[in-house]
Amino acid sequence: MIYKSLRSEKVALKGVNLKIPKGKIYGLLGPNGAGKTTLISIMATLLKQTRGKVEVLGFDSIKEAREIRKRINIASGNPNLIWSLTVYENLRYYAMLYGIRDRSVVERLIDTFELREFRDVEFNRLSTGNKQKLILARAFVNDPELVFLDEPTKGLDPPVAKRLREKILEMQKDLGISIVLTTHYMSEAEMMCERVAFINRGEIVAEGTKKELKGLLKMRDKITIETDSEIPHQISLPDGVYMMERDGKSLSFYVDDAEKRLWEIASEVAKFGRIKNIAVKEVDLEDIFNELAK
Amino acid sequence: MSLLSEIYKTLGFTYRNFMITKRNFFTIFETLFWPVLGLISVGLMSIYLDLEERYFAFILVGAITLSILQVSQLDVAYVLLFDIWSKSLKYTLVSPISGWNMILGSWLFGIARGLIAFFILFLSSKAIFNVSLLISFPELILFLFGVFLSAKIIGIITCSLLLIFGYRAEIFAWTLSAIFMLICGIYYPVSLLPEAIRVISYSIPLTHFLEYYRSFFGFETSFPDPLATGYFLSFAEISLLFLFYLWALDRARKRGTITQFSE
Repeated sequence: MIYKSLRSEKVALKGVNLKIPKGKIYGLLGPNGAGKTTLISIMATLLKQTRGKVEVLGFDSIKEAREIRKRINIASGNPNLIWSLTVYENLRYYAMLYGIRDRSVVERLIDTFELREFRDVEFNRLSTGNKQKLILARAFVNDPELVFLDEPTKGLDPPVAKRLREKILEMQKDLGISIVLTTHYMSEAEMMCERVAFINRGEIVAEGTKKELKGLLKMRDKITIETDSEIPHQISLPDGVYMMERDGKSLSFYVDDAEKRLWEIASEVAKFGRIKNIAVKEVDLEDIFNELAK
Repeated sequence: MSLLSEIYKTLGFTYRNFMITKRNFFTIFETLFWPVLGLISVGLMSIYLDLEERYFAFILVGAITLSILQVSQLDVAYVLLFDIWSKSLKYTLVSPISGWNMILGSWLFGIARGLIAFFILFLSSKAIFNVSLLISFPELILFLFGVFLSAKIIGIITCSLLLIFGYRAEIFAWTLSAIFMLICGIYYPVSLLPEAIRVISYSIPLTHFLEYYRSFFGFETSFPDPLATGYFLSFAEISLLFLFYLWALDRARKRGTITQFSE
């Protein structure tokens, strides 16, 4: 169980207990200030927990921090590296910090992350997308067993973000490494993570695969019904409806089984207005996140 | 932990400071412009005051030492400052480096920059003022190495203060060396200072290294063996200050300063 208090915040983490599987991409999701970055920083040995024990790759995060640092790396969505160093110089500097003498490691990363034409361009002259590529390339300089990615696609154009996600997946598959990913984009987590943990106010509120989480919340499907008029609040909800959301003339029902509940719900709604459209979809991480963040 | 790997990690910081300095006009200015300007102004003042040659040398030794001290200690402080300014400190500190790798690697480049500054000033004092500060080579090296150890002391203090007080402490990178020189007798013997301050002066190795160099121009020293005293104090203080730096680093990891510096 990890606890962390910071002077600037009240309590950053309250008894977090997590086991991160090896060789998979694990998602840490939660609203701003939930404690995701604090947790990643503790696991990456950049921050010391106030209480509790953290083991990373079998090493104690306080007593064996250096052993952990040899085997992990980190990249965050704020692309900051030494401004006046070029792509090559930045990577070479960080490679040296891991005791890597072989310069071909740096050249290989430049190629892998498609930075060849920017090799001799200073960091502050790179586009945001290329800066982020360099940050990611840096995270693989020591051939890590575990990489922490803290919102790696934050603020990027959708095509660049997509390309980076593909690159991360490719690297994870090729190297068989473990990745802990924090993100605000639920679609990103859905696409990349095999398991996710939801953090809210410093606590893990749910953890598991998407299927397990849906089971946990007992809501599997989302039925959205559009009507030609606003539906009054006194609409009665049948069994199996766990939540209802309103957005103007549109109502969303989170249910255990859409097939079982659709007819009953539609009949109830039809009493108050003419149904224009019905959409049924599986509950996604965003729906689960919205529910858990409440 | 192989020795070669540790050397390479240390040289990583030397490499970084070198590459940044090479590209940064400001740091070249620090090495050349201010030291030469300082030497010329102090030299002209000495001519105006019609000083004897040995007093002229006394003053120039102070001016040159201040410049090389300032240049060399800055490089040690830069080991954190470059990362703090770039908000990239976490990327350096997430790697398996030790405090020694950081301090030693940046200090090595500080020595190189300090040597360049020294030779320029040394030659300038001969060329402009016809004052030779030449002493035998081994003694000169011992003096210079002592000054570089003093630069390391100031650099470690600055780095520790940066980790404790954050951005506010960066001012120490430009002021501490001047304060040290003031206490250590930049243009005057420390015997002139009030007794309470003199006690502090004697506890600073730089005082003894300055007296050692000046002794070759006929000036008395406060202690019988200023070189041994200076080196003893240097190694003792560096050891203690390094522990202080490690404590500051640990404190920064506990308080979240490293992540704050990277946001």
